[in-house]
Amino acid sequence: MPITIALMGNPNSGKTTLFNALTGANQHVGNWPGVTVERKEGQTRHGNQVYTVVDLPGTYSLGAFSEDEVVAREFILTGNPDVVINVVDATNIERNLYLTTQLLEMGAKVVVALNMVDEAEARQISVDEKALSRRLGIPVIPTVASKRKGIDELMEAATATIRAPLNGHVRLSYGESIDGKIAELEDLLKNGDLAYPPGWLALKLLEGDEYLRKVVDVSLKLQGSDEFTRFWDEMAVQAEDFQLEIVDSRYKFVGDVTKDVVRRPEVAVQTTTDKVDRVLTHKYWGMPIFAVIMFIVFQLTFAIGQDLLGRWMATGVEYAGGLLESLLVTVNAPQWLIDFAENGVVGGVGAVIEFVPLIVILYMLMGFLEDSGYMARAAYVMDNTMRAVGLQGKTFISMIVGFGCNVPGVMATRTLESKKDRMIAILINPFMSCGAKIPIYLVFIAAFFPSYGGLVLFSVYALGILVAFLMGKIFSKTLFKGETSHFIMELPPYRKPTLGNVLRNMWDNVSGFLTRAGTTIFAVVSLLWVLAVLPVGVEPYGAESILGRIGLLIAPIFEPAGFGNWQAAVGLFSGIAAKEAVVAILGMVYAGVEEGMELVMAIREVFTPLTAISFMVMTLLYTPCAATLGTIKKETGSAKWALFSATYTFAIAWVLAVLVFQVGRLLGFS
Amino acid sequence: MLKQLLLEIYKADYVSKSNLAVKLDSPVPLVEEGFAELVRLGYLLEDASLNCQDRPCGRCPYASMCQKEPLKTWTITEKGRALLEDYQAAV
Repeated sequence: MPITIALMGNPNSGKTTLFNALTGANQHVGNWPGVTVERKEGQTRHGNQVYTVVDLPGTYSLGAFSEDEVVAREFILTGNPDVVINVVDATNIERNLYLTTQLLEMGAKVVVALNMVDEAEARQISVDEKALSRRLGIPVIPTVASKRKGIDELMEAATATIRAPLNGHVRLSYGESIDGKIAELEDLLKNGDLAYPPGWLALKLLEGDEYLRKVVDVSLKLQGSDEFTRFWDEMAVQAEDFQLEIVDSRYKFVGDVTKDVVRRPEVAVQTTTDKVDRVLTHKYWGMPIFAVIMFIVFQLTFAIGQDLLGRWMATGVEYAGGLLESLLVTVNAPQWLIDFAENGVVGGVGAVIEFVPLIVILYMLMGFLEDSGYMARAAYVMDNTMRAVGLQGKTFISMIVGFGCNVPGVMATRTLESKKDRMIAILINPFMSCGAKIPIYLVFIAAFFPSYGGLVLFSVYALGILVAFLMGKIFSKTLFKGETSHFIMELPPYRKPTLGNVLRNMWDNVSGFLTRAGTTIFAVVSLLWVLAVLPVGVEPYGAESILGRIGLLIAPIFEPAGFGNWQAAVGLFSGIAAKEAVVAILGMVYAGVEEGMELVMAIREVFTPLTAISFMVMTLLYTPCAATLGTIKKETGSAKWALFSATYTFAIAWVLAVLVFQVGRLLGFS
Repeated sequence: MLKQLLLEIYKADYVSKSNLAVKLDSPVPLVEEGFAELVRLGYLLEDASLNCQDRPCGRCPYASMCQKEPLKTWTITEKGRALLEDYQAAV
């Protein structure tokens, strides 16, 4: 009859690698009865003996918190394996030994496969396996499953353990009081005819294992025993304390054992992390340091993206446009198609694509900060500031996501438990300047502030955050009053950014941007191009076209803000479909007006530095795009809040844009 | 150790596991396991920054513009607060 070996271990401890090393191709996969947990079983031979090896689900503990845990412990207790090989990751031994202590509590025959000892060695972690074996009272065999090292020794130890009587196991003490209760309960359970060892069952019941409590309740009720119920009624007050004491005893045991048998180098990086954090997350210095870092990021974006790479892209777009036009002329394409290609596609979509180099550099630098772990610090610093003004700190998480795109930003508010906090976070998220708005700022910066690009872009983002804070404060004092909940943020250790991660992050963002340029923006530009050339007979892209008439209708609203021209009005209007469309539409309508003229040149003709700032303030703060509004409707469950968001953001944007223009004019700016 | 860990988390401005490990004189992996156990026992709540179980990243058109590594935050539950009150009163 084959002997059964159960393989047990934490996830990622190399358990499956060991299973494969032991069984090779002799394995099959099924499911554990009644659950969806995968069951892997295989055969191995050692000497003349055939062994059945069962790969149990990877778990950290043997409670009843997941199906995996229940399946694993049920098999060990009722599946009668002859021995349990506990795979312990030598690089993470402290965490893995917690499971080992639970296996020892079960009274199972256990052999520890101290796996990945090569990796531990490489990390200068040394484990004295002989001392560990003495402390646990079970064999400990070093292995490298991926290289089949130590497998024979492991099987030798498993065979010897199977043959030997069960003794020498370490028995944990949980303190006098709990040990006494375990003994008392064990006596009661001995009469219960249950499938589990009474000592272990008593321990688990005191630990608050609800799964086993139900099993015991049913069994003892069937036997008419009420002693258990009486015992439990008396225990009720202490139960929670016992639960924690038992877990703590295991930790203490693991801590004591590892202190004696594990040597690891002092992790200098962590100490450095804490030292650096004392400065970067400082109560007073944290925010200014964050501001300086972001300012440098924006400055570098312009220095590299615009001055070095920007011209190449502009030339490339112009060249591609020329090629497309020649091709259409060569194939005798109709004039309207040539016109659409020239003014709609090249003038519109091309105007957006020209800014890709800046976006590439910006996302590379942001990716660098994210990969280094600094962005988590930035979030913490913002959280502190938000708390200081009485806002729910966790809102900052959705705000950070909103810098990429407001749609996931609004969705990220789901982590806020309180409805009040969530509503505020949703309503202020559109003030976070999303990636789609970047080309708008870049056009105006290139036209009027080429030497101060970093400063202007930084100011725009800062204004968005400031308005979000102010509105959040106003909402928390008016529409959504109440207590805010408390949470603690985890700061991961600093890492050396890898080029691969930085490039991947940049590519994810840029490819998303290009995809939208080729789909959403193209669709909006195509539709508005039709409106710009109809009705037939009027001057295309002129004030008499349908688009021009719509623009003329809206334009007076923006007169007090200094940009009451119909082109700016339709640009802003198209931005409600998608923010990238603003530049595309401006590119199309200005390309149509000033044949062959670059968009930046045309903008310089129509706007002034003051109206450019006013326009940027408007685009930063006004009505979010349709996708964001749809998400607000979905997340709040009400079209009313989507409508409120659309109108109140427009009102705030308009008031501030007018304020910028009028105050600027009074101060003598033009 | 778990009560002390919960108390240190409560007192901290932010969670730094390396910092906590130094304070508790325990290795970082054991502190990590302590966090996991406090969550399992219902004293601590781990919040991921995004909860998109209805639409995993692979099927989300906004995945490329979303956070790659969600920021992790922790909340001490009512049960955890009650435990801390008892613990602080006892020591």
